Amino acid sequence: MQVDIRNRPSFANLRVQLGAGDRIIAEAGAMATMSSNLEMKTRFNGGFFGGIARRFLGNESIFVNEFSASSPAELVLTQPFPGDMVCTELRGNTLYLQPGAFIACEPGVRMSLGWAGARSWIAGEGLFRLKLSGSGRLWFGAYGAIFDREISGEHIVDSGHLVAYEPTISINVGMAGGIFTSFFSGEGLVTRVRGQGKIYMQSRSFDGLAAWTNSHLM
Amino acid sequence: MGRIAILDRIEHEHEHENRDAEYEKKQHRSESHVLLQRNPAMVMPASRESFQGGVFHASIPGGRSGATLSIARGELIADTISEPSLRFSIPLNQCQIDLGGASNRMVFCRTKEGDLTIFCEEKNFAKELDFQSGGMLAGPLKQLKKGLAADANRFRFWLTLSAVACALLLFVGYFGVLWTAKIAIRALPVSVDEKIGTMAFSGMEMGRKLEANHPASRLVQEIVDKLKPHASIPELKFKVTVVEDKDINAFALPGGQIVVFTGLIKEAKSAEQIAGVLAHEMSHATLRHGIERVSQSLGIVAAIQIMVGDVGGLVALGAQVAQTSILTSYSRAAETEADLEGARMLNAAKIDPKAMADFFEMLKEKMGDLPDAMAWISTHPQHETRVQSIQNHQKKLPVVQYEPLQLDLKAAQDAL
Repeated sequence: MQVDIRNRPSFANLRVQLGAGDRIIAEAGAMATMSSNLEMKTRFNGGFFGGIARRFLGNESIFVNEFSASSPAELVLTQPFPGDMVCTELRGNTLYLQPGAFIACEPGVRMSLGWAGARSWIAGEGLFRLKLSGSGRLWFGAYGAIFDREISGEHIVDSGHLVAYEPTISINVGMAGGIFTSFFSGEGLVTRVRGQGKIYMQSRSFDGLAAWTNSHLM
Repeated sequence: MGRIAILDRIEHEHEHENRDAEYEKKQHRSESHVLLQRNPAMVMPASRESFQGGVFHASIPGGRSGATLSIARGELIADTISEPSLRFSIPLNQCQIDLGGASNRMVFCRTKEGDLTIFCEEKNFAKELDFQSGGMLAGPLKQLKKGLAADANRFRFWLTLSAVACALLLFVGYFGVLWTAKIAIRALPVSVDEKIGTMAFSGMEMGRKLEANHPASRLVQEIVDKLKPHASIPELKFKVTVVEDKDINAFALPGGQIVVFTGLIKEAKSAEQIAGVLAHEMSHATLRHGIERVSQSLGIVAAIQIMVGDVGGLVALGAQVAQTSILTSYSRAAETEADLEGARMLNAAKIDPKAMADFFEMLKEKMGDLPDAMAWISTHPQHETRVQSIQNHQKKLPVVQYEPLQLDLKAAQDAL
């Protein structure tokens, strides 16, 4: 199975070329176009209750689609907002994704919903996170460009910009500076990530877009 | 740093020996880790337990991998899950222990140089590490646990504090709104009382109303006219209705609607007694006891409505409250207040307040043989104390020459 990320970074989409016997699991609604010989099966995203939990708590779909090819076929997957996509490969390690970031994965990747905690929620990163483990490639998207950083120690990310991180990283909410600086610098609360591992960030945030739009509605 | 020994498949038979030899060498040279490529079939559980964790090392494609961890011969060993499987190890005495991760429970074991990290989130891993290291790592592990506990405590402290603050804010907010609404109600114009009274009156089920020119109606109206100039709220329009009912009863609605039952007129021994009851009821209206009742039964929603200026909702609510509880609702404090204000009005109108006390006295005597007709008296304060307090109050009032009412009670009673 060959997967290319095209039209990067603004309107990235995945072109998946499946060989006979290849399978790929994608977020419901991500399919833009596909070959007619490709078989699509919809199933609950991790069981009935898991699916429902994922929908309401993790802001992901109740369903995921599994595409399987009996002969070579092509599939294009997209995300609903403009932005980049990246591919990463799991080798028995785990990656946490922010709600809404997941696009597709290979069948060897397991999905589950994990409690992210009140701190993550306060940081504007959601009360739950999607936990991806196992082995195989996975693709996720973001609003704006995606950049990663291999951190060792502490790093500060503005709230709403964190897309994915490894379980070896701890997340804490903090103020950008003192009380005055925090509230008048426009930075407010920030996320302090600490530990060793990789974090993926997006160059735009939905909160930022909402605030900007709001300021033009008056 | 870190010697990497990649053994070829032929040597796998000797892997054990090799590893042992390697171990010996390592002890001498104090090597921090060894990397082996090995046959997965040869995996032998080194410690009693194995754990699922992971490794960070530059030699792994992508720099990281999930791994199966075990502890044996004073070493923490990690076998990567990726294909081909790689083996990494760190001698326990060189482990730099750290705690963290997204769950804050992940144990990290690093080499001094920091180029190799083995980590695990499993519950028993720290315990096993502690046990296998023979207490070597007990210090750092304990310290980490302490830090974690302090962290958790601090979090719990803030959580409790914010929960208490939220509850307090809600509590203060709730009662604050009710209290403010009460004040706001008192500041409302009397016209609101009138609206409530009129609505309640029109919705009430009563006996036949006597004509305004009926001798009984005229008698009552004349008394009210005499008392009216002495009411504490001069702009209140008192309106009296006499209703055919054998009960000895009278009541006042907010805004000055007063209803007198024919039973009361029949039983009265003098026009002054009726004046006493009317003065009491008019006082309820001037003291705005009705609207006070409404504000007491006010829910939070109605309170907010009033505060934002929606009086219509209050009027509807007031009419409802006035209908359902007007006969039984005034508190004892309100009754006593109305007694004293009534006595003041009577005194000012040159009517002896004693007549009011006499009327209670008379009702007390009647009580035995007229249990059903005692509606008015039964909800009122104990009449001994009432009579007493009226008499005491009378002494404080300015001395006036009382004038008997020039009204024909007998004619009114006969017309009923």
